[in-house]
Amino acid sequence: MSIGALDAGMAYGRAITGAKGGSLLPSTSLTESGGSEGAGLNFGAMVGQMVGTATTSLHGAEKASAAQVSGKGNLIDVVTAIGAAETALDTVVAVRDRVVSAYGEIMRMQI
Amino acid sequence: MGSDSIGISASGLRAQAVRMKVIAENLANADSVAANPGGAPYQRKIATFRAVLDGKQKGGEVQVTGVTGDKSAFGRTYQPGNPAADATGYVQTPNVDPLLEAADMKAAQRSYEANLNAIEAARGLTMRTLDLLK
Repeated sequence: MSIGALDAGMAYGRAITGAKGGSLLPSTSLTESGGSEGAGLNFGAMVGQMVGTATTSLHGAEKASAAQVSGKGNLIDVVTAIGAAETALDTVVAVRDRVVSAYGEIMRMQI
Repeated sequence: MGSDSIGISASGLRAQAVRMKVIAENLANADSVAANPGGAPYQRKIATFRAVLDGKQKGGEVQVTGVTGDKSAFGRTYQPGNPAADATGYVQTPNVDPLLEAADMKAAQRSYEANLNAIEAARGLTMRTLDLLK
């Protein structure tokens, strides 16, 4: 599998044009030369959705912890809820870091 | 992969916790006799499990079907002074065998540990998969 620098540039270009108004980068100039013309990826919406999911699981974990503290909950539920929330948050953070670093690389590109 | 197997293992933890509770109850009541003369003493309890298919997880969780009484016969000892003694001086004793409970407790403990290990393994794999992204 080979990934050229141009492929990455075009992919992020597609992502940028997909993010209507949600991006600081200008949504022009990068066009796809070949392949299928799919719907643009909206990075802002994607991160928003992932953060929403992570927040929901964090709320669940908090609820389970509160129930446990007040003596109504189950320790196993607390542990699994916190584990799920931790995994969700880690995933969001990892994806965000990856994408942000990719954007940073694009910004540092020599023109 | 991760959250599904963790959920199934968590159901195993819950089931074994119930089993531990029942065993503790049996051990604590190993000498409990009836309050009234000639009455029935404490009856040993057994936790029974069954597999349930969760449509969302596509996996079989374990569920506690219920806690039922052990139908084996009660013991009888001659204790005329005991308030629970019947007219002939015999007291019915619980059908709890502490040795059996100890073995059962060991099994429940091992099963709980096995489920804990499964959770740990699944979580470790999820984390390592996530590390690929870093």
